[in-house]
Formats: sequence, structure tokens, C-alpha cells
Amino acid sequence: MNVRRLVTIAEEVHAESGRPLQAPVSVGFAAAVIANPWAGRGFVSDLGPEIETVAPELAALLVPRLLDALPGPVQAYGKGGVVGIDGDIEHASGLLHTLQFGNPFRDAVSGTTLLPSVEKRAPAGATFDVPLKHITDMTIRSHHQSLEVRIPDAPHPDEILIGIAGATGGRPHARLAEFGTDPV
Amino acid sequence: MVCAMQETIVAVAEQEPEPAAEGAALGTLVRKLVIQVDDLEREAGRDVPHAPRRVVVAGVVANPWVGRRVDDLSREVEEILEPLAPALIDRLLRHIGGAAEVRAFGKGALVGVGGEVEHGAALIHTPHLGDRFRGAVGGTSIIAFGEVRAEPGAALSIPMWHTREAATRSHYQSAEIRISDAPRADEIVIAIAASSGPRPFARIGDRRTDPSARTRKDRP
Repeated sequence: MNVRRLVTIAEEVHAESGRPLQAPVSVGFAAAVIANPWAGRGFVSDLGPEIETVAPELAALLVPRLLDALPGPVQAYGKGGVVGIDGDIEHASGLLHTLQFGNPFRDAVSGTTLLPSVEKRAPAGATFDVPLKHITDMTIRSHHQSLEVRIPDAPHPDEILIGIAGATGGRPHARLAEFGTDPV
Repeated sequence: MVCAMQETIVAVAEQEPEPAAEGAALGTLVRKLVIQVDDLEREAGRDVPHAPRRVVVAGVVANPWVGRRVDDLSREVEEILEPLAPALIDRLLRHIGGAAEVRAFGKGALVGVGGEVEHGAALIHTPHLGDRFRGAVGGTSIIAFGEVRAEPGAALSIPMWHTREAATRSHYQSAEIRISDAPRADEIVIAIAASSGPRPFARIGDRRTDPSARTRKDRP
């Protein structure tokens, strides 16, 4: 794996709508900008060999960096990737949607649910919104949230930006009815 | 690989939680803090020796002067920076790996469109921020800075230079930060930045090695 840049972004929310939170909530994203392992090879039918090599290395790199950026245990999580414009969206999906990437993250935070994800192909500096949901119950509405991410010079056309997101709590002042209690 | 990673995770999980007192105090003043850590591992296709780490920490605060003419800004400057400056500096030092890692530094302000650039300037050009930051990293230089008025989501490029040798060209560099929903019209973003090293593959000489521009122009 060829890593050009490692970027971590974390937001620590202390107040919302003019009201302080009882305790601050942090949302973070740890990203790696890597050379697209399939760049310049045309249509590659079997993405498996590179997925098996790169995905576990990415997880090993990103999980400790995300946890280091968050001041408390992860309650919600997600992931996302941006493929540089010369690549296939399938390339980002390949690295994101494999147990070799997701399971080390899930195991590290004792999560059991699917990791919500976003994938797109875009030039350097594109913004993307990473969705997060609760780590053990995807119906817990208070923990549905997103984090906007942008790295000014990534991904280059032959790169992939891959990252994982975590939050130490739900939305600030969350006050929606629980799933299943909505009037029909 | 997996074992090493799990050891790291256990160590992180055992860290002390944030002191609750700081969180409660900051919440009356700061909407949010944003931390950005950027490690440049490769440049121009080559590994960067001692890859520099660049850290930016920004705080979003309400602009206390919006909509009124205020000649003396000093009281609010102290009220805001008394809790905010230590919060920014603590996080910056934690993420860059301690004061000894800081080789270059900078600061900046983004003022929401309802305020004056002077409001941002007041919050960064003051001992309450500058002296604290310089003292915390053992610097002697003036701190490089930038201040602009802009819509939420505007990017701020924060210039940095060496903490003790401001004219050392290899350490001239910038870090960009952008917060999607700040500053609102009645807010100000205050940011500090640091780098643990020079630009990757810096090779533009310095003031002592430059050929004189006048000499070259006058050359026959």
C-alpha cells in the first residue's frame, strides 16, 4: 500500500442552537490517501488480490488514528471513500465493503451493525458527507448523523481516499420520537 | 499486524476522559472545536523523510460585537480567550505530540459576514492568544497569521513559519481549514496551527544564498 497522506478531522461540539450540551460530543474521520492499486490497468475483473492486501492494512492504519482523535468510546460509526477521476467507483467500494476492512473497526469498538458508507468519484478537494449510525442498533435515531469531509489536494486522478468515522454520542440535543413510535 | 493494532486500541481506551469542568465552561462560549491532523507521507512520488505533521485547532465562538459599534474590544477579548486559548493550545499540543515537536506556527481568524475583520484581529493579535501559544511551544518569533471575513464553509489558509527563526524559508508553509457551517454571520472562527517540520523536499535556498535581484537585472 502506497500512502501519500493521512488526515484526521474531529469536531467537538459544545453547544447547539445556543444551548450548551451537558457533555461535549465528538465526531471524527480518519482518512488515508493512497495510490489506486488498479490505476492504469484498464478494466480489472478480479479485484480480490489487491483488496486482500490493502484493506486490512488500511484498517490497521486508520482504526488507531480515529480512536486517538476521539476523547471517548465510539457510539456511532460509518465509513466512506472517494476515487480519483481516473478510477472506478468499484475500486473504493472494493476496499470499503470487505470484512477485512470493516471487521477490525467493528471489533475495536464492539460494534455489531453494518457500517453505513458513502462512495463517489470526484476530483481533489471534493466534499463528501459520511453517514454514521449506532454501533449496535441501527434504529436508534438519535445517532443518525453525518460529517462533512474535504481534503483540499486529494484524491489525485490515480488515488483513492478511504476513511472511517466515529462519534462519541448522538446528535446534539436529539429529540426525535423513537423508531416505531411515529403516528402512522 | 492485527495484534499490534489491538494493543494500541486498548491503550487508547484506557485514556482519562476529558475533564467535565472544561466541557461545561466551554459550552457557554464555544459552539464547537475542530481538530485537523495531517501527515504528509509522500510528495512527488517519493517518501518524505520525517513526514511533517500539521495540526490545526479551531474554535467557533459567537461574535460579541455584532450589530453595534464598540471602540474598546478588550473586555470581550479576555472573556473569550481566557477559556478558549488554553483549550486550543492543549489540543494542538496533544495531537502534534508535545511542545518539542512544534517547529513552525501560525494563527488565523474567519469572521462571519455580520462582523468586522477587526473583531477577528482583536482575538488573534493579543497576548491572551499569542503570548500563550508562543510560550507553550518555546517560540520567540512573531506568529504568522491570516484573517478574512467570509461565509460559512470558506477555507482559511493559515500561514506558518519557524517558531524561532521566522526568516527560515524551508519552514514557510500553510495549513487549510474549512468548517462547513461556520462562521455564521454572527460568529468568529479562531484557529491556531503548527507543523513539526519543514515543507517536504524544501529546496528554494534562503536569504543568504539568493542571487541579488538587482545584480541580475543590471547584468549586461
